Amino acid sequence: MSWTTRLAALLPATVDRDAGGTEPDPRFTFANERTFLAWSRTALALVVAGLAIVQLLPPFPGVPAGRHLLGMPLIALGAVLAVAAYAEWVRNQRALRRGEPMPVSIMPWILAATITGIAIIAAVVLLLSALR
Amino acid sequence: MTAPNPDQAGDDPEERDSGLARERTSLSWTRTAIAFAAVGGTVLKENLATGLIILVIAPVIWQLGRVSRRAIPGADGGPPAMAEVSATRLFFITVSIVGVALLCLILVILGRSAPGALR
Repeated sequence: MSWTTRLAALLPATVDRDAGGTEPDPRFTFANERTFLAWSRTALALVVAGLAIVQLLPPFPGVPAGRHLLGMPLIALGAVLAVAAYAEWVRNQRALRRGEPMPVSIMPWILAATITGIAIIAAVVLLLSALR
Repeated sequence: MTAPNPDQAGDDPEERDSGLARERTSLSWTRTAIAFAAVGGTVLKENLATGLIILVIAPVIWQLGRVSRRAIPGADGGPPAMAEVSATRLFFITVSIVGVALLCLILVILGRSAPGALR
């Protein structure tokens, strides 16, 4: 399946058309919606954290691009998480409607892997800065 | 997945009153709106116009969380499916966050920073 087809499948009209199955228990629908909202707040927190790193931290001596190197991936991760959270909500809602097992979430993996990567970059930047 | 049996209410208050799930979801929408306002406030210090744009999204999101699907006419005249209402609202939030992230990236790349504000 191409990326454009995948993205088109996320549009609200397509979600409704492809819903299938029957309306699930409202409590499950609410729980799915709350999970999406929680991920959205996490995405916003990452965007603010990235912005704060670039705008508020003092420059790293000897590593002029250090703040951008740390802040910009966090902001980008915020945008990626927001889209992934919506795709996850669509998949979960579809599974709930059809009575299928809930799909495995890749979002905790994305978050953990990116934060680990940024932590490693931060350690390298600090080390380079301290050695100057 | 099996739906809970309403005739076998347990000790969990939510099993006895599904309205609590609606209330928790409503509070979650409010927290999300507050999060948008906080981001807007933070960006406001850096760039007034961008901050105001983000701040305007906060009340829209708060209002979206209060939309009842009974208030929206469906294709057959009755209320639309819950998934359709949710998909439209959640899609708006997703687009908003991606937009905010893009604005912040532009600010970070092109904007004047005040390095050392935490020094």
